[in-house]
Amino acid sequence: MRTLTIGPLGITTHRRTFAAGLGLVAVLAGLLIFALTAGKADITVLDSIKAAVGISVGAPADFIVGQVRAPRALTAVLVGAMLGLSGAILQSLTRNPLASPDFIGITMGAGTGAVLTLWLVTATSLWITAAGAVAGALLTAGVILALSWRRAGVVPLRLILAGIGMGFVAQALTQYLLTRMDVHDAANALGWLVGTTTGRTWTHVTVAAVCLAVLGPLVLWHARALRTMEMGDDAARALGIHVGTSRGVLAISSVLLAAAAVAVCGPIGFIALVAPALALRVTRSAGATLIPSALMGAVLLLAADQVSQQMPQALQFPVGVFTAAIGAPYLLWLVWRASRGGPA
Amino acid sequence: MSRLEARGAVIGYGDTPVVRGVDVAIPDGQITAIVGPNGCGKSTLLRALVRLLSPSDGSVVLDGDDIHALPTREVARRVGLLPQSPIAPAGITVKELVARGRTPHQKVLRPWSDKDETAVLSALHSTALTDIQDAVVDELSGGQRQRAWIAMSLAQDTPLMILDEPTTYLDIAHQYDVMDLLHRLNTRQNRTIVMVVHDLHQAARYAHHVIAMHQGEVAAAGTPGDVFTEDLIRTVFSLEARVLTDPVTGTPMVVPAHGPGGVR
Repeated sequence: MRTLTIGPLGITTHRRTFAAGLGLVAVLAGLLIFALTAGKADITVLDSIKAAVGISVGAPADFIVGQVRAPRALTAVLVGAMLGLSGAILQSLTRNPLASPDFIGITMGAGTGAVLTLWLVTATSLWITAAGAVAGALLTAGVILALSWRRAGVVPLRLILAGIGMGFVAQALTQYLLTRMDVHDAANALGWLVGTTTGRTWTHVTVAAVCLAVLGPLVLWHARALRTMEMGDDAARALGIHVGTSRGVLAISSVLLAAAAVAVCGPIGFIALVAPALALRVTRSAGATLIPSALMGAVLLLAADQVSQQMPQALQFPVGVFTAAIGAPYLLWLVWRASRGGPA
Repeated sequence: MSRLEARGAVIGYGDTPVVRGVDVAIPDGQITAIVGPNGCGKSTLLRALVRLLSPSDGSVVLDGDDIHALPTREVARRVGLLPQSPIAPAGITVKELVARGRTPHQKVLRPWSDKDETAVLSALHSTALTDIQDAVVDELSGGQRQRAWIAMSLAQDTPLMILDEPTTYLDIAHQYDVMDLLHRLNTRQNRTIVMVVHDLHQAARYAHHVIAMHQGEVAAAGTPGDVFTEDLIRTVFSLEARVLTDPVTGTPMVVPAHGPGGVR
């Protein structure tokens, strides 16, 4: 096997995967520097980076980079990574490229939960919104599981159909909640429901970072189980995998990652759907590639965020609009390919 | 001697037992074939032998221990299973697939070792796949694909290998190809092999030990010569047949007495 072993951690990977990962890291770093420096303010690259990491360089840079650009860009990176991971796990568990949290209703459920907390709790903190999103996502996932459960376990096609259905239910609930809120709160909630990275603060970065720091390692710990389960439950069990435990941990982690992403940025569509597929293309890996999927998600969301930000004023849509512009054609292509008898 | 045994095992899905209290011993170093009509419980028994199902009564014993008391990974280092229809991840190469057989020997933070590499190369060699190790599994012929799966099971490096219908869906030449391969693995590497097969002819030719199942019970067990009698074929398969001597191997040959001109 053309593999590479990295130091004391003993992480073994294919050379191609490793090279692709390095390439993605480089692209991400380039995008980050661009995100911190591009703009009308006259701030040098060095000052931008200093301000971003908290070294004071004077009034405009400290605010523009330190309080506006840096938290926004880092939020995009972390949320993109969470979405990429979440999608990669779901797609691998269900062996279906259509299974991503925004497609099977998890994201919408998280949105409903978050809007509910915005309505119920007047003094909202991001942590409370996050808790609401997590509760909404878990509840939605529970209902989807119950609906798709048959004697032998979950039927993947039923899971996807039940998920699409639940997505509509959750959206209807959200709409209803919006009509019950006072106008000011509803306007806030609506802005957030499009999926946006504008106005993100260091609090958003912290919430995203904590979630990723807890769930990321947990998910990577089960990465081998995930890949083995792609060969079928019997084969995985015979290879010594605790199928039930691993699947449970991975599925819940995937839901939580999607929920946390919604809590921080609102429901940003298509990143979770597209990033794992692109990561597979780039690494030419067979089966789930978690780290490249996370990196790809980060690259895509940061890039989409930059595109939306650098547009002329009249065309500055929220980032969710741009991710949809990338994702919708991909989805159509998937459906077109499936309708021609290819793998769904 | 047998390392793997079922003792009074009652096995089923839900409340209905499919296998009703069977005693089975798998002789070490031999090829065992489990035969029987559809729905007789042979696949269910096989699944219990690799711990995919647990008996509701009785037990499956591996090396003297209840197989359910052993850690999953430990079982996976002693007994390998090739399921009936395993799924090859899209785009996986032969070598990558075979490498996945090493899963029970690896830990999260332990890298791919020389021992893993050796086991994979040797499995590729034994199955004559060395030349096409970089080919994508989806693009192989049925016979090659089955050899790749057997190679994965080989790389798992278990003394006991269990195969659920390894020749189903293959054309006749590839069926004998796979059977010859299993025979070589048994004689050269002293692997104990248990397989469910439909073709009685193959069972009689290749197996040392045959277990015939009927309605969830063991109807007969022993050498092909002991098991394949005209009476047994009639009881187990509801089939009138003559048992002749195979002109090629001298083993019993079950010839159905059906068809135009057959004695009905």
